[in-house]
Formats: sequence, C-alpha cells, structure tokens
Amino acid sequence: MDALNPQLLLLAIVAPAAAALALVAGLPERLVKPCAVAGFGLPAAIALWLWSHFPEPAAIPAAHLGFAFYSLRALGLEKLGIHLVLGLNGVSLPLFVLAGIVGLAAGLYAVRSGAGRLRAYLMLLLVMQAGLLGAFASIDIFFFYFFHELALIPTFIMTGVWGTRAPGDNRYAAMKMAVYLTLGAMLSLVGLIAICQKSGVESFDLINLRLALAGAPLGVSLQKHIFGLLLFGFGILVSLWPFHTWAPLGYGAAPSSAAMLHAGVLKKFGLYGLIQIALPLIPAGATTAFTVHGIPVTWTCVLAVLALGNVLVIGLVTMAQADLKQMIGFGSVMHMGYAFLGIACFSAMGAGGVVMLMVGHGLSVALLFLLATSIHHRTQTFDLSEMGGLARHAPVLAAFFAAATLAGIGLPGFANFWGELMIFVAVWKLSPWIAAAAVLGIIISAVYGLRAVARVFFGPPTEAFARAAVARPPADLSWGERLPALILLAALLFIGFWPRSIAAPLDRALPAIMAPAAQATSHAAR
Amino acid sequence: MTFAQLAAIVLLLPLASAAGIALFLRRRGGAAAFVSVASAAGILAASFCLVFGPRDFPASVEWLRLGGLTVSFGVKFDDLAALMLFVVSFVGFFIHVFSLGYMRDDAARARFFGGLSVFMFSMCGIVLADNLLMLFVFWELVGFSSYLLIGHWHERRSAADAAKKAFIVNRVGDFGFLLGIIACYWLNGTVNFGELAAKSAAGGLVFSRAIPLLLFCGALGKSAQMPLHVWLPDAMEGPTPVSALIHAATMVAAGIYMLCRIQVLMVPQALTVILWIGVATALYAAVCAMVQSDIKKVLAYSTLSQLGYMAAAFGLGGLERPGNPAAGAAVAMTAGAAAAMFHLMTHAFFKALLFLGSGSVIHACHHEQDIFRMGGLARRMPWTFAAFTAGVFAIIGMPFFAGFFSKDAILYLAFAKNTPAFAVLVLTAVLTAAYMTRLWRTTFFGEARSEPAAHARESGAVMVIPLVVLAVGAALGGYGFFRDTLFCGVFDGVFRSLPEPEGAAHWTMIAIGAGAMLAGAGFAFGYYRPAAADRLQSSVPVVFGGLAVFKESFDRAYGYYVAKVQQRLAMLLNLVDQILFAGWMVRGTASIAGLLGVGARLMQNGKLHVYVYWFLAGVALLWGIAAGAF
Repeated sequence: MDALNPQLLLLAIVAPAAAALALVAGLPERLVKPCAVAGFGLPAAIALWLWSHFPEPAAIPAAHLGFAFYSLRALGLEKLGIHLVLGLNGVSLPLFVLAGIVGLAAGLYAVRSGAGRLRAYLMLLLVMQAGLLGAFASIDIFFFYFFHELALIPTFIMTGVWGTRAPGDNRYAAMKMAVYLTLGAMLSLVGLIAICQKSGVESFDLINLRLALAGAPLGVSLQKHIFGLLLFGFGILVSLWPFHTWAPLGYGAAPSSAAMLHAGVLKKFGLYGLIQIALPLIPAGATTAFTVHGIPVTWTCVLAVLALGNVLVIGLVTMAQADLKQMIGFGSVMHMGYAFLGIACFSAMGAGGVVMLMVGHGLSVALLFLLATSIHHRTQTFDLSEMGGLARHAPVLAAFFAAATLAGIGLPGFANFWGELMIFVAVWKLSPWIAAAAVLGIIISAVYGLRAVARVFFGPPTEAFARAAVARPPADLSWGERLPALILLAALLFIGFWPRSIAAPLDRALPAIMAPAAQATSHAAR
Repeated sequence: MTFAQLAAIVLLLPLASAAGIALFLRRRGGAAAFVSVASAAGILAASFCLVFGPRDFPASVEWLRLGGLTVSFGVKFDDLAALMLFVVSFVGFFIHVFSLGYMRDDAARARFFGGLSVFMFSMCGIVLADNLLMLFVFWELVGFSSYLLIGHWHERRSAADAAKKAFIVNRVGDFGFLLGIIACYWLNGTVNFGELAAKSAAGGLVFSRAIPLLLFCGALGKSAQMPLHVWLPDAMEGPTPVSALIHAATMVAAGIYMLCRIQVLMVPQALTVILWIGVATALYAAVCAMVQSDIKKVLAYSTLSQLGYMAAAFGLGGLERPGNPAAGAAVAMTAGAAAAMFHLMTHAFFKALLFLGSGSVIHACHHEQDIFRMGGLARRMPWTFAAFTAGVFAIIGMPFFAGFFSKDAILYLAFAKNTPAFAVLVLTAVLTAAYMTRLWRTTFFGEARSEPAAHARESGAVMVIPLVVLAVGAALGGYGFFRDTLFCGVFDGVFRSLPEPEGAAHWTMIAIGAGAMLAGAGFAFGYYRPAAADRLQSSVPVVFGGLAVFKESFDRAYGYYVAKVQQRLAMLLNLVDQILFAGWMVRGTASIAGLLGVGARLMQNGKLHVYVYWFLAGVALLWGIAAGAF
C-alpha cells in the first residue's frame, strides 16, 4: 500500500488538470459540475490520506532528506538537469493539505456560485488547483516555479473576466496584480537560477542542491545578492510592505473562489520558497551584514522592519477600510507581516510558527472571502456603512463570519493562534522591542475584525438594508454555501485543538532545514 | 476512574455540551437548556470528587512541540485550584438553574446556553491549567464567551458595542500578559507553575520587575482594574445571569486567581504597583457607584470596587516576611494572596446573589432597571427581598455575614502593613455600605413608583431556589466551621496563611469594620428616602454632577483617543497608502516593468491572454532546448 503513495501524490496533481482538460474537451453539460467536484475532491482526499500516512523519520530513506512519497520522473528535460521530482516533507505537507482543503471548498463554492460561463470558470479554477498542489509537491525547483506560474495566470484572467467590481476596475485590478506578481516572480526566478547555476550542480533538484551547498556553500557576497533577490521577489508575491498594494485591490475585485485560492494558498508560495529554499541554501546571505552609508545592515533586519510595516501600518490602514472585501484583503496583508517576522527570526521556532500560521491564515482568509461573497448576495453591497443587523436574518452566516474573524485575529481554539504564538515567542529572541511591536497587532486586528462583525451583523439595520430586506428577506446560509464553509471551519478547529497533527512532522523536518541557518547565525554572531 | 480522567471530564462535559448545542440543538431551546444545565451539574459533581480527592496528581500531555518550544496541556490541582474550582462549579451550577427561569422566553435560548457551556469550559480550563501558555489559551476563550454573552441581544446597538469593547479592552490587557509569558519563558526557561515553584525553592528563579508587571496587565484587563476597568460597567448589557456568573463571580476574579498562581514571580516593586492600582480602583468605583441609578450598574461598580479590594490584598503581600513566600509549604501563599482568595470566595457568593436578586427584580418589573422607578418590592417579593438583604449585609460587612470576615482580613493586613492604603480601604468600606444601602432602600421600600413595580410578583421556584442557596453561602461562607468542618479543611493550603488579628487588634478591627459599615449605612438610610429621584442629584447637583463627570472621564479620554487620534492616524495612513504606494509606486513599477520588455507592455494594454501565450511559448522553447531541437 505504501508503494502506491508516490503515485497518489502525482494523481492529486494530475486529477484537477485532467478534469480541466475534460471540461475544455467538451464534456456534456450535465457532467461539468460532477467532473469539477471530482477534480477538487480527489486531491483533497489524497491530501488527507497522505497526511494521515506521513511516515516516521526512520521510514524515509536518508538520501531523500526527509521527503516522503518521493518519486523521480524524466520528462525529456534531463539535459537541463530538470526532472519531475515529487515528494512531501514536514514543511510542504501542511501546505499541500491546505491546498487540498481550500481547493475543495473553493471548488464546491464555485460549482454553486452561479457564475456566468461556468465551464470556463471551473476550468481555470481546476488549472489553478493543479498548479497549487504541484508547487507544494515539487522538489525540483524548476517545477516548483512552473506550477506556481500555472496557478498564477488563471487568477489574472478570472479577476479580469469574472471580477466583482465594475468591468473597468476589474481589468485595472487584474493588470496591477499581473504587473506586481510577474515582477515578483521574475526577481525570484533570477535568484533561483543563480543558485542553481552557481552551485555547480547540474540540477534543479532541491535535494541535490541542499547536499551540495551544505558541503560547499556559495560565497557570502553572492549569497547576499541572491538572498536580496529572493527576499524581494518572494516578498512581492506575499505582499511585503510596501509592495502590497496589488493584494487588497486584486482580492477586492477577484471572484470569491479565485480570491480564496489565491489569498488562502497561492500567496503562501513566497513564504514557502523562503523557508524551503532560501533558508537552507543561502542562509549566510541573510545574516551577514552589508553597509549602507556606513551602517551595517543585514537582510533579516530589513525584513523585520518591513514586516513591522505590514503589521502596524497596514493594521491601521485596515481599520480605515469601508469596504468589506478590501478590509479582508488588507487584514490578510497585515498577517503576512507576522509570517515575515517569523522568517526574520532565523530559528526553527520562527519558521515553524510561519508554517502553522500559513495553514491557519489560509483556511481563515479563504473562509472570510467565501462569506464576504455570501454577504454580498444578501446585502447587494460590500460597503460596511450600508450594512447592519444581518444576524437577525442569517444567524448561521453570522456565526460562521464571527468564527472566521475570531480565527483570523488569533483566538485560541483556531489554527491561527498557534502560528502567531510561536512567532511571538520566537521574535522575542530577535528583540523584545520588536516582539512588543508585533504583539500590538493582536489589539489592532481585534479592533478591525470585531468592528466588521458588528457593522455587518449587529445593531439595527440601516434604512436601505431594512427596505431591501422587506422587499426580499435575505435567507440564511444555504447548504451549497454551508458545506464549503463547514469544511474550512472544521479544519481550523481541528488544527486549533490538535496542533500536533501538523506540528509533529514539521518539528521533525525543521532541524535539518534550519541547520545551515543556525550555523550561519552563530557564525555571524562571532 | 483516575483523578486525571475526572479533571478531563470537567473540561470535556461543557465542551461537548457547547458543541452539541451548536450542531444539533440550535432551534431547540428547551433541549439546549437541559443539556447545558446537565453538564453544569456534571461539573459540580466531578469537582466535588476532585475537591475532596488527592492533590497534585500527575496529569499532563504534550499539546504542541515545535522548534524547541513545548506547550503542555496539564492539570495542576492544589488547594488553590480546588477552592477556585469549587467556587466556579458551585456558583456556576446555580446560575445555570436560575437562567432556566430568567431566559425562558428568550428567542435565542439555545445560543445563550451554548455560550454558558463555552464559558464553563474555558473557566475550568483557567482553573486547572498547569502552565501559563495553557492558562492564556483559556484566558482568551473566557474573553470570547464573555463577548458572545454580552452581545446576546445583538440587535441592540449598545449591547453589540459593549461586547466589542469588552473584547478589545481585554486584548489590551492580554498584550502585556502575552509579553509577560514570553519574557518568563525566555528568562526562566519554563512557564510551568510547578517548575517555576521548584526553581524558586532552589533559588534559581530569575526575578525581574518586567515579568510580574506584564503579567499583571492581563489581570488589569480581565479583572477590570484601572485604567482598563471601562468595559465592565458596559458589560451589564448582557443578560443578568451572565453578569452574575461572568462579570461578578468567576471570570473577572480570574485575574486575582492568576496573580495567586504566579506568586513566586512577584517582586516587591510589582506588589506595590498592584496594591495601589487595587486601592485606586476600589475607591474610584465606590465613588462611581454612588451616582448610578441603574440597579445593575450599581452592582457592576461595586464589583469593580471589590475586585480592587482583592488586588490590593494581593499587593499587600506576606505578613511576616514581606514579598517572600513561605518556603517549603505545598502551596506557598502569602497572607495577602490568602486574603484575596478568601474575599474572592465570599464575593462570589454574595455578588452572584445580588446579581441574581437584581435579575429576579428586573424580571418581575418587566425589564425595568432604574431603581428610582421601583420601590415597595419588599412586600411583593419576600423571598427575593430576604435573599437580597443577606447579600447586602454580606457586602457591606455586617458582622456575622461572610463579607465581614473576608473584608476584615484584608483591612487587618492593610492595618498591619500600610497605613495610607488602610485609610483608603476603610473609606471605601464606608462608601460601599452607603451605596448598597441606597440601592436596597430605594428598591425595596416605600411605594411602587412605576406601573411594572406595582404589579411585580415573586419569581418562580427555579429562580428563588438559587437565591436561597447563595444567600446561605453569603451568610455562612466566612465562618471557620464552613471551611474546617463542612469542607474538612481541604482548602487549608490557602486559608492557612489567612491574616488573623489577635488580642487587642482583634477588637480594634471589629470596631473599625463595624464602625465603617454603620457610618455608611446609617448615612444612606437616613439620606436616601425612597423617592422618584436621587436626592443627592436634586439637592446638591454640583457634587452629583462632579461625580458623574469623574465617572465619565475615562470613557471620554478613550473615546477621544479612538476617534481623534487612532482613527485619524488610520485615515491618514490609508491616504498615504492610496496616493503614495498605489498611485506613484505602481506607476513607477509599471514603467520599470514596461522597460523590461514587450510582454509586460502588452499586458498593460489589458490583453491578458497575450501573457498566457508568452508563457506557453516560453515553456515550448525551454522544452525544445532541452530536447535538443535547436
């Protein structure tokens, strides 16, 4: 049975792609929805299966460096040192599971969304899902990048065509996202190619690179340059302040399922890249100081400062938002600041916290975008000042939204709490003052989160909404909306109450990944 | 069944009840109420087994281990936890029963009882936690249940605002609390109470002023001490049983309990800060209570004041060796901590009683809460009146009632250690007697001053029985035989350290306590005749107005900060974000991207599909190169 698992991993990536092809190939209309559901359901089931069957470290061959379900396939690109190498380690497993779960929820929501040209919409979403699963399952850096692009492109198209704003605004948002994200992707691509080129290994295989660079690391000066490229390249993809403006705008315009997949899963790609690739391969580049006008600076310092910009500046900006979807977008940008801080800690605790936070944040922000669209169906607006009193008509929707908000602001019992906690503890080691500034975020996020809950659901309804409600009483969450929401909420609670389910494999994987970073840190200290 | 399993049941029963209600009983209020009350009864039974069982049984599992940090989920069950668990489960159960009657006609009864179960789960978690991180988890969860229950009638804007305010103000406190936990973790290498105590006994504990003060921030929020007290009066928007359970008897006392838990980390400077914040809160809140006309608001300010008493008692520290816990004892309690816990227990009885009594009154008067529109209820509601009277006597320190003994212990400790604090606390005691007598007299005596009050009828048995039980507690809870004979001394680890005056000091203290009570009560009984308006307001409006402004000052200052500073800063940053980054930077970036090549320029024309072609062409090219086509 265990021998099948690597094949299942491939199947999880192929299934949505095959479903997308089937949709393009002219599947009969009545089979479109079942086919799409299968395309999302199968990877989710496989992800859960692989999660529950993730082997003990002793059962993983030492040559695979902690990557389980390993498989290597030649696809005709051997001359360039490129193979389709798949596998999951403790860092990628949680994200793979995240992709599976959020993909299923987004798919189920999309099937019932009533979007125009549903076939094309589902096709793009399936392509995105294949890309996401592939990016997190790839050990070969080329495919890691390729799958990311595969997932990225549908976002632009979906935002431009199926966006929730006025057509012109949708196009502008899609264009802006495309410019930013392409730029970020290109910067990181240059960095990745540089690593592979300079390593002297004729291969894009992360395992080979890790083995080679552990013995003979790149020159420190080179590492510094490459780390800068990766930091800003990946940083833009994750909406590092001040390169974040694409995110709220793009998410505000993107259709709900695309926003769920992008904000929930795809955006984590940059953080994942920093942890899985940058930290083990070029750690000295981050911890070695260079001088700016005679002041010694390291990339970790730069990262920590910018990350505080995410937490504090964007946190305050989030408070000023009047549009529900924009607010969720800004809130998501703010929480990425915690993730960057966790990486800046350069410790296993910090990196582990980042992975935990990625999972929690991905689930909660996907749930928030889903519910925001459900709210829009009932109020016909995203403007917070025009809402109020929806809880009276839709108590289940209110409960879900409140739960998602509380998860997002780090209430214990939900997955996000553990990530935030680990990061706060780790950041103290960096500097107690930075930790204090970061922990301020728990107040800021409570302010805007609870304000939104109160505006939308509590109090007396606004006049406009009361009139609309009389004409057409808004119904509570239907089962088509409730099922995907329930999937996400259940996952949030499960990890919140049982964090070990994700943390145990992660904890076993981190020491090896962080060993070069720890070495670099102690070296820099000396 | 082992005792560890019993402790697990205390946590799992209410959790299962809450989950069951949320999933299956949303529309069945009656069944939800039954499940919730049954779970509270189960907690009470299990906690009695635990209270009379052994102490410090091993019960700990690893909850999370990641990157060197381990968070364990464990139980530390000593006499302190036993006392607190008894208070929570006993008072909690009777408030559940009372709610059956009080919330009978509520449309969202299931949500209410589900919320109560969430609260019981989180509160028991705080009591049983064996380390600070686990305590913090449940600490936040009681904050959530408090949010849920304050906002129970969320259609009212004021209730929704009060819920939000409570959560956010508590988060401000938790900001410091969390930093304190993290500081403790890095400085001492552990946040486990047992390990901290062991380190302290071995002399290996790292003391720092920052740790206890940061941890105290958590108590500032949760126990509503100045300057974070502003949420508690507003929290009275919640249903009255919630005010009794969460905002009087148990949750707000969790801050005091937490301080007793982390006693080994205390340093003298921190104790001094805690003492004076407690003293200031006690006095300020007592003054505010003098000018309230809403029956629940009077009780809310009185809760603040009593919590200030407890914090002050804790801050007074030990009697023999100041700031140095008695080494070697199983539970190293200072005299101050013991007095604080003693007052916490008696306060839980009498304040829960007073709130439930006020709930009975409010219920009978069709949700009229203004005491000047009540009157003459003593005749119409004899049981409620009798029970409420016991509560009033207990809180004002009438000799032979529970509050007399616990307040006496605190006053004596202050007398022995800190004269200025003693003077303020005695003044507070005078004021306490005054505002409670004012409330009591105006509500229950004279003629009915409104239609609902004239037609008030005694509440049903399901509401009266909890009142009677708590009244017995408020009358007898302070006596030695209550804890020594009835409870066989199982709480001795706490009460052993109680400060008890001897000889002449004994009589001095009784005289001062009784004198303060008589002065306050006598003045109020004579001054406040049952009337339709506050006599102080009509005869000396300057004083009354001044006190009202004094009361408002904190809310005004915070309101000013939020509206004029925080919100404006947020708007400004938003503007900067939009103009600078969205406008200028994206154009800049776009032009760079434009220079980068044709592909990017094509994208700017809005033709997105072109990008897809470029991507596919790139892939094909790469594949071609690799396959050796070129």
